Amino acid sequence: MARIQNNIWNRYKYKINGLMLVLICYFLYQSLFPQFPDALPTQELGAFEITPIPYNLEPPYLHDGTYTKDFLLLFSKGQVNAIRQAYLTIGTEPLPLETLELGDAGILHGSQHGQEVHAIAPEAFSAEHKIWLTIENWQEQQQVISWPLPETFYSSSN
Amino acid sequence: MAKLSNRFWFKLHGWFSLPVWIIFCFVCLTGTISVISHELTWLTNPESRASNPQHLAEKSMSELVDIVQQAHPTASITTVMSFESYLVNAVIFNDKDVPFAIAYVNQYTGKIQEINLGMTFTNFMRSLHGWLLFPWHSNYSVGYYIVCCMAIVMLGAFISGLVIYKKFWRAFTQPKLRVTQGKKTLLADLHRLAGVWSMWFLMLMSITGLWYLAQAIMWHNHIDLDPHAPLIEASQVPTSLNGVPVRPYTLSNALQVAEEKFPDFKSTYIMLPEHQRDTYKVYGQGDHIFYDQYAYGVTVNPWSGNIESERSPAKMTTLQTLSHIADPLHYGTIGGLWTKVIWFIFGIFLTGMSITGFLMWGSRTVKAARTDLDDTSTIYNPPLVEQEGN
Repeated sequence: MARIQNNIWNRYKYKINGLMLVLICYFLYQSLFPQFPDALPTQELGAFEITPIPYNLEPPYLHDGTYTKDFLLLFSKGQVNAIRQAYLTIGTEPLPLETLELGDAGILHGSQHGQEVHAIAPEAFSAEHKIWLTIENWQEQQQVISWPLPETFYSSSN
Repeated sequence: MAKLSNRFWFKLHGWFSLPVWIIFCFVCLTGTISVISHELTWLTNPESRASNPQHLAEKSMSELVDIVQQAHPTASITTVMSFESYLVNAVIFNDKDVPFAIAYVNQYTGKIQEINLGMTFTNFMRSLHGWLLFPWHSNYSVGYYIVCCMAIVMLGAFISGLVIYKKFWRAFTQPKLRVTQGKKTLLADLHRLAGVWSMWFLMLMSITGLWYLAQAIMWHNHIDLDPHAPLIEASQVPTSLNGVPVRPYTLSNALQVAEEKFPDFKSTYIMLPEHQRDTYKVYGQGDHIFYDQYAYGVTVNPWSGNIESERSPAKMTTLQTLSHIADPLHYGTIGGLWTKVIWFIFGIFLTGMSITGFLMWGSRTVKAARTDLDDTSTIYNPPLVEQEGN
């Protein structure tokens, strides 16, 4: 039979799991006041003016067999309904539209007030990688623009 | 086979229940409140009530979308949801200065009763209960796993509790609640009585909880239960030399397709296309009470009017069936308000059991510790202290 030592651990060990409730308060605060990384520079592409904002600085995650990285794209000029299809990818060069439209990865979705995208990404970032936006309009004209990958991306993923 | 001693089972019961009892109690309490979160919203917020004094017919979700679009011309409507008949429909949208908003639209009068800009009580409670607000990392949340693991705790405590409680079935025919024989006796009687009368509930919560754990593991390992709604082939999206083409098929057409497809279809969750290769996603409930409110549905091509995919209980795999029957059984929505009330009552029993269990253990521990201290000070024949959970 066990003898119980009347010490702090034995007195409170079954109550200590309650400390996890403090974490809940912390996560609630985090969700009420979210912090996003800095936006990438605003660039013009034809009639559009676009600002990508990464959701976080975490490395790409696997989604349906494809590594992806999430962004919000703000269109401060131009109408998104003028886009027939658009994709965001990260790599050394842009993927051809013919390849992109075979699947559903990397497609821009949302509204005039914000386009979200789970950008197709490599498993790990490096300095050679760029962020590529490919837009096709209703007249089947394609436009491509790129942003240098922020250093924080590949320094945090390595 | 060696017979396990009663003491072993008693210790096992403690091992299952005590180390995480506060989190367990918290999960039970938040789950209990979540069951009636819609009803609490109805009680506390008059704008959430779908009053219909003139007995008007219910408007379709496409009409509700039009109403919100007219009131907020620059809004981009993404989703429409319906709940119980006494609650307003929720039309979710974003606008130029509003990243997320919910219009509470009375489905009978068509009146927009409130624009909610933040978290609703129901969403808050269900998130709190479901994953303790721990952040999601793509497809998993540590909090979700913690909550799901409570099913193992519950099942272990339930089975060991039944073994300890000899002839527990007598609690059905001769329930015993001694209120005049001291706190310890009252706590023990309450704990045992609630446990025996909640057996079905404990089983149900444990099994559905274990299913949620299996589901979490599958999500984490990229195993999709319900396939993603297919995207339209890019070649099917028309091109245009003159401006932006208009989608020939509307939400109203998509709803009509779903209603023709499934008898007794009631739309509960609709998503509008988010890009030109996207579909109308129309989900709802049908005549199977054990399935959730998303068990039936179609995705409709807005350019051709074709059904791109469909969902119904008849076409589900075993795992899909489990995923669509787990929620009604866990939240007690199978029979509407009355089953929710039953689930709420038994949720209180369960929360109470975690508290009474801890109080029983606490009173023994305090007593044992005092005895131990007394004996140490007198250095006289110290008695052995038996503790469960150590």
